[in-house]
Amino acid sequence: MTSATTLTDQHRYGAGLAALGASPGMLRKFLDGYAPAEAWEAIARGRHRADPDRRYRDKAVPRTLDTVESACARSGVSVKVLGDADYPPTLAADRQAPAVLFSTGDVAVVETRPRVAVVGTRSATHYGLGVAAELGRDLARAGVVVVSGLALGIDAAAHAGALGVEAGAPTVGVLGAPHDAVTTRSQAALRDALGARGAVLSEIPPGVHSARWWFAVRNRVMAALAHVVVVVECHHRGGSLHTVAAALARGVTVTAVPGSVRSPASAGTNRLLVEGAVPVRDVDDVLTAVELCVVTRPDITPPSRPPSLNRSSGSGRRAPPATAAQSRVQRALDHDPATLEAVVRRSGLPLGEVALALEALADAGLAVGAQGWWSRRSG
Amino acid sequence: MLASIPSATLYGVDGRPISVEVHVSAGLPGFTIVGLPDAAVRESRDRVRAALLSSHLSWPSRRVTVNLAPSGIRKSGAGLDLPIAIGLLVAADVVPSRCVERTAFVGELGLDGSLRPVPGVASLVAAIDAEQIVVPAAVAAEAALVAGERVRPASTVAEVVAALQGQSPWAEIAPLGAPKTETKEPDLLEVRGQLVARRALEIAAAGGHHLLFVGAPGSGKTMLATRLPGILPDLTRDESLEVLRIHSAAGSTALGAALTRRPPFRAPHHGATEVGIVGGGTSWLRPGEISLAHAGVLFLDELGEFPAPVLDALRQPLEEHVIRVRRARGAIDFPARFLLVGAMNPCPCGEGGLPGSCRCSDVMRRRYLRRLSAPLLDRFDLAISLGRPDVEDLLDGPPGDSSAVVAARVSRARALAHDRGVRCNSELRFDTADGPSTLSADAAALLERRLRSGTLSARGLHRVRRVAQTIADLDGAPGVDERQVAEALQLRSARSTLMAGEGQ
Repeated sequence: MTSATTLTDQHRYGAGLAALGASPGMLRKFLDGYAPAEAWEAIARGRHRADPDRRYRDKAVPRTLDTVESACARSGVSVKVLGDADYPPTLAADRQAPAVLFSTGDVAVVETRPRVAVVGTRSATHYGLGVAAELGRDLARAGVVVVSGLALGIDAAAHAGALGVEAGAPTVGVLGAPHDAVTTRSQAALRDALGARGAVLSEIPPGVHSARWWFAVRNRVMAALAHVVVVVECHHRGGSLHTVAAALARGVTVTAVPGSVRSPASAGTNRLLVEGAVPVRDVDDVLTAVELCVVTRPDITPPSRPPSLNRSSGSGRRAPPATAAQSRVQRALDHDPATLEAVVRRSGLPLGEVALALEALADAGLAVGAQGWWSRRSG
Repeated sequence: MLASIPSATLYGVDGRPISVEVHVSAGLPGFTIVGLPDAAVRESRDRVRAALLSSHLSWPSRRVTVNLAPSGIRKSGAGLDLPIAIGLLVAADVVPSRCVERTAFVGELGLDGSLRPVPGVASLVAAIDAEQIVVPAAVAAEAALVAGERVRPASTVAEVVAALQGQSPWAEIAPLGAPKTETKEPDLLEVRGQLVARRALEIAAAGGHHLLFVGAPGSGKTMLATRLPGILPDLTRDESLEVLRIHSAAGSTALGAALTRRPPFRAPHHGATEVGIVGGGTSWLRPGEISLAHAGVLFLDELGEFPAPVLDALRQPLEEHVIRVRRARGAIDFPARFLLVGAMNPCPCGEGGLPGSCRCSDVMRRRYLRRLSAPLLDRFDLAISLGRPDVEDLLDGPPGDSSAVVAARVSRARALAHDRGVRCNSELRFDTADGPSTLSADAAALLERRLRSGTLSARGLHRVRRVAQTIADLDGAPGVDERQVAEALQLRSARSTLMAGEGQ
């Protein structure tokens, strides 16, 4: 294998250590008191004091180094070792910071801006997706970096919302998998877009098979980066609760978007609210929490509050339903999604009338239909 | 010394004429069958011998050679027992050869000399060109549907010999009689609520549109699907004859069953093999479930659990109404024009499709949905999401129309489609500039909006138009208006749940 010498020794051995498959805590112990090259050498000789059982010795072979190095070059990933000058100081200050960080894009963007982690379930309702996208958009407009996990559902909606703002703040994705992991087309597109306008971080070197537990472990990185965490939608025992736990451990403000008490996708968020999380209705509520947090931090540019974000405007502008049938169907709609069947029964109109009214309401922006389920569009 | 007896063997659902040649000559006693016999045919030696001896007829202790011509076709089944036995008797000069002139024989022999029914007798006699055809009495009525007066029923081989020699008359064909009281089809009256699903069933029946139910377990998918045959119109005589031939050839109905005018309903389990669904098999090529559903309804519950090859094999019959089974021994076309009803959970956890309630991992959900190829999903004109019915509806919901009332509306709509020159609206083509019906301006505008917003594809456009036409026919509307188009759009909205498997 031709070893393209794109990495310095420091980074080359750092990436190699990360590829040994050790947990983040173990990796920190490897580098505790050792330079990366020294640590590698010690492990390869079975003399590292953090590896008395020599469990990692067999993997510490030159081929591992070559594989990681070429995978980094292939996917354009740069390596940062804790203690490097270009390692993000925000993250370096964290007690559980990743010892080795793989990134695309410009990691430095996080330093001077307020940062909000927008997280939530992959199995989201269109309500949750809508809120996440709006929060992402409005936060990016206010100059806040949106941090999320690049997963489907809420994460993707928040990222996409932020990316949709022209000249908005950058957005940062924290992967629970290597940069070159196989994902859906839309996720890959989002990952590339974030690399171009923001940054994508991962603790796992490219070219390595990752394990499921990384998804839970990476949540601490999001919590460490964020000034405020917003949980948009989360199931009873959803993965977002890992992020919440990590945020609480770091004293980061946790906020949650209330949802219907009947929606399973809001069970987790509603419980967070009961337990004292800050409720979030729109971006104003998030910005208030952010301002409280960054007021003591002169190095952070406070978020800008464009006047258009005023809550009183923006709602109630839509035209009322045009016909009697339409208003009857609209009354039959709820904020919880209902099947066509339920809408027909509640309205008491024949299916043809209901269908026609729904098409008209959807065109007027008064109703939302997805996959055969209909709900009222919130103002 | 030599006799040649006409008969027939099954090839798929069709009969092929066979000539059974028996040669008896001096030499060591022995019995040889040549001409591609399968195991059942080869075993006929022992059955014929025992049957002849129990009937007090002689078994020649000479050298016997049986040739089944043409020798290129593989012969299967026990239906050649009777012609072999008669050929032996003629060749051994027990029965004069003039007695069997222009007479064909079909039937399996029991060791006691009785004649047993064989599968596919209607197809077999249809292939035979003879003045009289002797068949087992149990299936004589079925044979008479095709061959009429030429059929000669008999219950034992002795009876056949006596009748051939003019010693006794042929038995009367037991009249086909009234069809056995058909098992009552489930009625729509028993379905409470489910207004949308009932409407979808009615449209599917009227327009021949394939229908997909997406919903949680317990939302009534199976209950609804089993009620679809009950609102389909009666089969024509030709159709029911075709259905009888297929079912008889498959040996799936009780042999000698009466002609039914009601469309069949088949609901194979998802554990069924590809051969069981599509057709084929090793001993003789048998029609599969999709052919048994010919002219009726094929219900595939848990569509996502069917193996992908089975689902892909459905595409050809859905398009061409015929399934071509190719095997090393040859290709056979089985008729397969059925109305497909699919039912499935929106995802493996079955949590019911209520947005936000699914707990499946992305990978699991994608793997589940990937089995349904987009071309297959495209064949469903109607796709609706079902929720669990409300308790109030179950207890005292208003009963809808009965199956009889709905069936009357369906027949009227089908008559309108017939006037357009198609069997049903799902066969309408809009390729020609002057389509069969013109859209109103409002309807065209709605379709254009949906096309522009990307929620409707060009292929989907035609499907929506066909369904809208069926709705207009059912409503007795003069043309297709915005309202019918809107309804057609709504009745396929569950498709997007399943398309989400790709990307997004």
